[in-house]
Amino acid sequence: MTEIILFSLFALTAVTCALGVVFHKNPVHCALLLVAVLLSLAGLFIMLHAQFIAALQVIVYAGAIMVLFLFVLMLLNVRRHEDVLTPGAAKGFGFLFALIVFVELLWVALSPGGGEQGSVGAPAALPQEFGSPAAIGRILYTTWLYPFEITSILLLVAVVGAVLLARRKFVG
Amino acid sequence: MSTIAVPLAAYQILAGALFTIGVVGVLVRRSALIVFMSIELMLNAVNLSFVAFSRQHGSMDGHIFVFFVMAVAAAEVAIGLAILIAIFRKRETANVDDVHLLKG
Repeated sequence: MTEIILFSLFALTAVTCALGVVFHKNPVHCALLLVAVLLSLAGLFIMLHAQFIAALQVIVYAGAIMVLFLFVLMLLNVRRHEDVLTPGAAKGFGFLFALIVFVELLWVALSPGGGEQGSVGAPAALPQEFGSPAAIGRILYTTWLYPFEITSILLLVAVVGAVLLARRKFVG
Repeated sequence: MSTIAVPLAAYQILAGALFTIGVVGVLVRRSALIVFMSIELMLNAVNLSFVAFSRQHGSMDGHIFVFFVMAVAAAEVAIGLAILIAIFRKRETANVDDVHLLKG
């Protein structure tokens, strides 16, 4: 019962704040509402026994990435536009396509189970250490070692690219 | 662990709703910064879906995927915001409708 109440609370917060992110006029408020969405998702991750991912969500997303957003927001100091949404037919088409996407996703989520099992059964029994940093580290450094190393190269490329792009003058 | 009270479909519907809100943001907002935030929203909806399926199947591979998605999101934000700053320096705008140099 408490689980249902907590889920409803987090889900409602997430959806409300997400709508705020998309439709609020002030970009700083949008960024803060996005932090609220990320934090309520971290709560949902804990309910799903993903403690380590929840901690990462708070530290990396709500901490580092959002600070980056706010920093750029303050740096650019974008003047307020009169019309927040893109004008004309593009807006209508945007809402239409989003509605189509939502109906498709609902259909997939509610369709009575594809595959061989026929329907979604009870959730599997969890091992003792499910979602703990130790267990995640163990499979990250064995099964997923190569993707992990490739990710480090990706981050290096991102760092070099960001430094090059943000320099005051391009060379040549 | 007793039976789970919240079914998997509830998490999937929530993830779908958040993803759709992100799609709306990308399609209808003019400010490039808000478009970036909407992309983060979509990535997070997918993360929620991964973690919910991970719980359902009792396998931690979904958690690893979320880890990688976060790394890619961090890289994407760093590059994207750098591009945004470069555009803002040249053209004094952060509006996606004003950047149409390739239109011909």
